[in-house]
Amino acid sequence: MALSAVIRTSEATTMMELEIELKRASDALKSSDLTSISLSAGCDLFMRYVTRTKALEYEDFDAAKTRLMERGEKFGELSLRARKTIAMLCQDFIFDGCTILVHGFSRVVLEVLKMAATNRKLFRVFCTEGRPDSTGIRLSNELAKLGIHSKLLIDSAVAYAMDEVDMVFFGADGVVESGGIINMMGTYQTALVAHSMNKPVYVAAECYKFARLYPLDQKDLAPALRPIDFGVKVPPGVEVETSARDYTPPQYLTLLFTDIGVLTPSVVSDELIKLYL
Amino acid sequence: MDPRRAARTVIDPKVRQVGFFTPAVPPQRSQSVTVAVDGGGSPSPPMSDLSAASNSLSPVMIPPPRHVSVPVAVPAPLSPLRRESLTSLPVGSYNPSESLLGTSPLLSPSSRMDGSEFTEDVSPSAWGGRGGSAKVASSFPGSGGEMMAMKAGSGNTFQPKSSLTTASVVKMPPGVSVKNKGASVESPHERDGGPGAKPKEKMSKAERRALQEEQRAAKAAAKAAGEGRKPTSAAASAGAEQGKTAKPSSQKKDTAQVTGNVATQDKKGVDRPPEKDRKKEVPPPRMQFDDKSRVEKAKRRAVVNQSEARNIVELFRHLPQYIHGTQLPDLESKFFQLDPMHPSVYKVGLQYLAGDISGGNNRCISMLLAFRDAIRDYSTPPEKTLIRDLTAKISSYVSFLIECRSLSISMGNAIKFIKNRIAKLPLTLSESEAKSSLQSDIDHFINVKIILADKVIVSHAVTKIRDGDVLLTYGFSCVVEMILLSAHELGKQFRVVIVDSRPKLEGQKLLRRLVGKGLRCTYTHVNAISYIMHEVTRVFLGASSVLSNGTVYSRVGAACVAMVAHAFRVPVLICCEAYKFHERVQLDSICFNELGDPDVISEVPGRADLNHLYNWADNENLQLLNLTYDAMPSDYVSVIVTDYGMIKSQKIR
Repeated sequence: MALSAVIRTSEATTMMELEIELKRASDALKSSDLTSISLSAGCDLFMRYVTRTKALEYEDFDAAKTRLMERGEKFGELSLRARKTIAMLCQDFIFDGCTILVHGFSRVVLEVLKMAATNRKLFRVFCTEGRPDSTGIRLSNELAKLGIHSKLLIDSAVAYAMDEVDMVFFGADGVVESGGIINMMGTYQTALVAHSMNKPVYVAAECYKFARLYPLDQKDLAPALRPIDFGVKVPPGVEVETSARDYTPPQYLTLLFTDIGVLTPSVVSDELIKLYL
Repeated sequence: MDPRRAARTVIDPKVRQVGFFTPAVPPQRSQSVTVAVDGGGSPSPPMSDLSAASNSLSPVMIPPPRHVSVPVAVPAPLSPLRRESLTSLPVGSYNPSESLLGTSPLLSPSSRMDGSEFTEDVSPSAWGGRGGSAKVASSFPGSGGEMMAMKAGSGNTFQPKSSLTTASVVKMPPGVSVKNKGASVESPHERDGGPGAKPKEKMSKAERRALQEEQRAAKAAAKAAGEGRKPTSAAASAGAEQGKTAKPSSQKKDTAQVTGNVATQDKKGVDRPPEKDRKKEVPPPRMQFDDKSRVEKAKRRAVVNQSEARNIVELFRHLPQYIHGTQLPDLESKFFQLDPMHPSVYKVGLQYLAGDISGGNNRCISMLLAFRDAIRDYSTPPEKTLIRDLTAKISSYVSFLIECRSLSISMGNAIKFIKNRIAKLPLTLSESEAKSSLQSDIDHFINVKIILADKVIVSHAVTKIRDGDVLLTYGFSCVVEMILLSAHELGKQFRVVIVDSRPKLEGQKLLRRLVGKGLRCTYTHVNAISYIMHEVTRVFLGASSVLSNGTVYSRVGAACVAMVAHAFRVPVLICCEAYKFHERVQLDSICFNELGDPDVISEVPGRADLNHLYNWADNENLQLLNLTYDAMPSDYVSVIVTDYGMIKSQKIR
């Protein structure tokens, strides 16, 4: 959105200038939140999407600029509509009487559950507490408003409750080239438990979250730190692991629901190439 | 024909034929095309899944031809067929490298187009150039039909055992292409020999015998028709023979087989059935092989003298045995006598033989530079066209280089590239223009595909190195060295563990260079790999090639390192330029490899007291095996870093 506003208000007279302005704007956006992968991925994709019009030869620069603006706005709409698309794709996977485990607070997942409730499916949701962000509390609030039966678990109770669970849903901060996802801390754990108990793990993410990263292990990510409040004072000399997110390798994910379709993790890199080319 | 076809259903692990071929039928385009088309419909033989590709009866159309599996003269431009209709037969000059290596890797659409472009171009020009029948003939021996069939298949790049035949193919093409120059009569022979040889592996004994009878009859007829075709006869004899019982004769066979150009695939392929038959005591009809004059002629043709290989390991008989011996002084003395060979090419060949130049990139670059010199000094003989003649010359150089040391995959791809460029030269260019265009093409290839690609790889890989890392590398890879030095220059703090192995001890070279630049290094041998792996955070390996199913083909021992790293959950990064990719699929390290000098294993330099293996050759029960390459399954590889970016190994296609 912001970036399309940049196009509208820019006074550049050549494509190159416009591109440079866009780039500067996107860098500024990115620098405002260094850790957000979806933001930077979204910006990159926007840039590519928009500047693809360069291939079209426009005699009149103004015409080109208008076209660019259109594309920019279209991109914005697309991302808003993405959630609806994803929610529709997920409906077939939620059956009556199922139990869904959700970790983290994702608006996409919320949309999925909302639509399922609207379609009068009967299911219940287990929400992990999601310390330190208390995502579980927020999510169960929302679910209660929708009339969906939900149960709160502490993070450590995931394995304990996994027997009763039929499927696991995550959102994603970013989807990486290997097909894995970067998400809130605790996702990897939950995915591991689910995988070892043969429960399907579904990820709902818009396609602008696809990023050209290839983390080899947990520490390979740009650090995103978030202070944790333990409620009591931490003794001096004791370190606290404050990383806010982790990387889940693709072998633990079953399917990714995106607005470009339902993908297996191995297909993600192909799609990424298509998007970025 | 039919018995032969049925026979082919048997899969012989040693020789694989991919695609359809019409053994005794004169290679006619339409026929092979129809064969290909028909082949798709026929029921696949019971045993095949893999043989599906190789068998004319398999319903599976063979994937893109380019390959190696084509035993003989595989027309270079397989992709056109694959892509387009089966209109243009890829009969064309058979280029050993092309057949050997197929088209370049197709990672990106553009490169794909290039590859197909190249192959397409070669085919028509090659076809037109050499004269139809000869070419067709040569291209068909044993695999013409296959080619067609293979082309018909689309997108299926799985070539089960094509790699197996590569070794023999390597030998074959040079012989074939050299011979082609006017041996039209040969082709039926070769075709007989080729197809005969190939399927031999797969046939049952009875079928083989039947085949031999037919071949013998055909050969007799052909012999009457055209005498003095040593290659053909050699091929024919190779094809004809079966299971000789006497060991000396099998050794002699090996010798003949190994004797350079003439050593066609047939021979290699034939070797197997003879072995088997020998055990089963089937009296082999080896009339041609017994003809000493033919063997002698074959030997004389070879530029490099090959001495007999000793104590050959059964499982690796299909590979060219190491017969290095005393060739170096021999070749050196011939330096001024070898008229057809350009001095730079000769020099490069000697350097390969001596082991002075090793490593995929080095060998490729030095070969390309030698070819560039050769092209610069080339002048078209009267009444010959530049394209055809130069291609033939390059082929002869390549066969010489093969005699010195088997081609690496990078070299093969480069050779294919050159031949494509030559074939694509517009006919209107003057000779000097053509030459300078070729030279600049070669320069461009080196710069873009090797030097620039290395820089891109380094820039990608360096992002994966963090402060405090302990990086492990195996042997000597020039790309990995560049990555480590670049990361060091960027100021990253890390340690390097260099794992080395006998007999080549290539890691010492890397150790010296890194220590000279101030990096903190640890040096150990591969026996200690599981001991040291727990403190390693990343493993960087180079590769000789990456195959289309993600298997990494690199120095022997690298697979071990990757396996141990995988067990310790240490990420393994393979750094390989895209020009080294190959469409072949290889499942193990046996079907395609290079054998090194067994004597080097038996001795430890500097330890004269460890002489227990002195005179190992006298011991019949003892065989020494010195492999040069091994194949690493894609599961052990975390990511492959190429000039196209970082990709998962399964996505190489």
